[in-house]
Amino acid sequence: MIAVCLKWVQPHGAADDRFAGISAADQSALELALRTAEARGDEVLAVTVGPVGAERALRDALACGATRAVRIATEPGVSSLRTATALAAEVDAADVVWCGDYSADRGSGSVPAFLAARLGIDQALGLIDIEINGNGSHIRAVRRLDGGRREVLSVTGRAVLSVEGSTARLRRAPLRSVITADAASITVRPLESPDISAADLVPYRPRARVLPAPASANALDRVRALTDTGAAPSRTETVVLEPAAAARRILDALRDWGYLT
Amino acid sequence: MDFKIARDDTWPEISFEERIGTAEFRIHERAHIVVDGDTCRGCSTRECVVACPANLFVPTSDGGILFNYENCFECGTCYLVCNKEGAISWNYPEGGYGVVFHRT
Amino acid sequence: MSRFDADAIVVGAGPAGSCAALALARAGKNVILVERGPFAGSKNMYGGVVYPRILDELVPNWWETAPVQRWVVRRSTMILADDNAFTIDYRTPSWGRPPYNGATAYRPDFDHWLSRQAVAAGATLVTSTTVTGLLRDPAGRVNGVRTDRPDGDLSAPIVIACDGVNSFLAKEAGLYTATDAANFTVGVKETLALPRSVIEERFGVRDDHGVDIEILGGTSGVNGGGFIYTNLETVSLGVVLKLPKLTAQSKRPEEIIAGLKRHPAIAPLIEGATVQEYSAHVIPEAGLSMMPTMVTDGMLVAGDAAALCLAAGIWLEGVNFAMASGMYAGRAAAAAIDQGDVSAKGLAGYTKLLEESFVLADHRKLKDIPGLVLSDRVQQKYPGFVTSVIERVFRVDNPNPKPGLRRIVREERKRAGIKLGDLLRDGWKGMRGFG
Repeated sequence: MIAVCLKWVQPHGAADDRFAGISAADQSALELALRTAEARGDEVLAVTVGPVGAERALRDALACGATRAVRIATEPGVSSLRTATALAAEVDAADVVWCGDYSADRGSGSVPAFLAARLGIDQALGLIDIEINGNGSHIRAVRRLDGGRREVLSVTGRAVLSVEGSTARLRRAPLRSVITADAASITVRPLESPDISAADLVPYRPRARVLPAPASANALDRVRALTDTGAAPSRTETVVLEPAAAARRILDALRDWGYLT
Repeated sequence: MDFKIARDDTWPEISFEERIGTAEFRIHERAHIVVDGDTCRGCSTRECVVACPANLFVPTSDGGILFNYENCFECGTCYLVCNKEGAISWNYPEGGYGVVFHRT
Repeated sequence: MSRFDADAIVVGAGPAGSCAALALARAGKNVILVERGPFAGSKNMYGGVVYPRILDELVPNWWETAPVQRWVVRRSTMILADDNAFTIDYRTPSWGRPPYNGATAYRPDFDHWLSRQAVAAGATLVTSTTVTGLLRDPAGRVNGVRTDRPDGDLSAPIVIACDGVNSFLAKEAGLYTATDAANFTVGVKETLALPRSVIEERFGVRDDHGVDIEILGGTSGVNGGGFIYTNLETVSLGVVLKLPKLTAQSKRPEEIIAGLKRHPAIAPLIEGATVQEYSAHVIPEAGLSMMPTMVTDGMLVAGDAAALCLAAGIWLEGVNFAMASGMYAGRAAAAAIDQGDVSAKGLAGYTKLLEESFVLADHRKLKDIPGLVLSDRVQQKYPGFVTSVIERVFRVDNPNPKPGLRRIVREERKRAGIKLGDLLRDGWKGMRGFG
């Protein structure tokens, strides 16, 4: 089974869900879940944790081709850890769990990480490029790192994968599926309340690490030694080019810096 | 009540970018309206430039028209006023995309 | 279910479409309402006032649930010249009590609410789906629509086109002969944010009471008009501009709005306000003369799509005509399904319902008014003529004695370059036209 987790977000102060929706990242995740399941000949389970209005997101997912939908009933404001714990109980049979890298509101991307921890399976977060092989057994995932670097991951086992919004464009639901999804049944489960720990109430902050001062007389060198990732320092140069060449140069630079793939 | 008015500025003048920025547009990757630049080069009247409420038709220095579909109200003014047959091929955006009004 | 997906397909979930779907659903028909926006009302804007009394027939006590901003208890007609204005003002608290008269409302709220009434009655609403064309049977009768979704064809014996002023469906069905820009205006509007108490002080209203101001003149010489309506915490201010006149000069719509906002009679009302939303829409303005054929085999057309919009100077109405025509189209469609005849002949009951109701009665009665109100003399010459007459009537020019009214009118008419014959003709046309 392939699972996808969707977060329905209603804009602050909105009286109803006309302007509510899921993030572009969640839409990408849904599309990739559908593609993985199609390659494997498998089912897609769409899950959300939210109020009754969030069923709109599930109906949209069913219209696009998801097989089943579950809503874990709750009001907004539940912590990431509780959300992930509730999701884990639903998706623990899934081979691959797709998530958006950020929701339409908070966007901290913490739920996928908590979810992977709860499920005890691998995670790959912040993915920008996905290739799924013919039978869906292998997923090549590209992850963006700082400084324009890329990490290429090969996913063959169980994993939680969270993707950015540009990764895949969600397909358009066929008309008849939209109409039938409107009346489709959605499983609703209560949010089982796990014990709330202190970590649940305050955001987690990693402890500061104490490092010895780098040995250098030059302040800039010391700062570099502490913070530099080893990337080549960027240089400023002035070039005069024809418009077409200038456009190519800008595109090359954006690729170099990791803004384009 | 802390609503104050500066008399030399009865209402704040805003740029067109700010003005159009008050409306929500869900932009599709494909343009729903296509303007044929070659036909426009032969047009001297340029009805669309003055009439489009979203100011989407921009004359270019080479005598053509640059059209941006992104901030379109989908009102129909441009094809109604255009006197060059076939210069504007006009469609609604894909369902769910385009302008979304809130308080109007 | 038969070989069809539904008994009827309604295209467009505006006021016409939702009322058509509501009427069909109430008649026990299986109806699919297709809307291209993400929700009903998301593509719709207007000046700002709706007259919902026709809803008494469809949604009893509609005022208890309809998302209204303010009930209009005060109506003004302003005539603006260069720097002066003449206003006729009427107010009554009785319009602020059920069953009310007019109300300001935001269309994304109102149309959404109305679509929920149709859904509650059993209609199926499909949003984010653009209808791209008509389906026809081998005999050429309309029997469905094509949409932009995969597997997107929908079939039904009846299609009701409520797809708005541009109605590509009515045009595709051949119901319009030609499209003439002179029949249309573009409405351009700013929703201006002001604190609620400031609005109530400036416009002299309290609680949920509001004001409707129609303006003749003040549109930088472009034939059309202006409007100001009060919402709870915003003021709707805009202009309606006749398309050929707009393109015949060089001022853009937002500049014409800016000119109106600077007028000494308008500026104090909106001082300090910030633009919360800018919007625009085209309006079918020519009344009876531009209306299409209302039915063809398997298809009816209602609302703006049928040019059912009354732009008769002191009356600016559209949503009520849309709701009524939609309701009648839905009823006629249901009756035609019951009779087993969905041909143009079987659907002719729709035209009859329109003829027998205010929908076409008002349009027939006022058929000459839109042309008169938008005519060059009424637009360019009369506002200055009227305000200068009023100015001289009220001016105390001692030691000179008061000139007689007749003399003022004669002198000002000549100064404005208005021929007596034209004035009398227009006056007669107006008297006759307004019935």
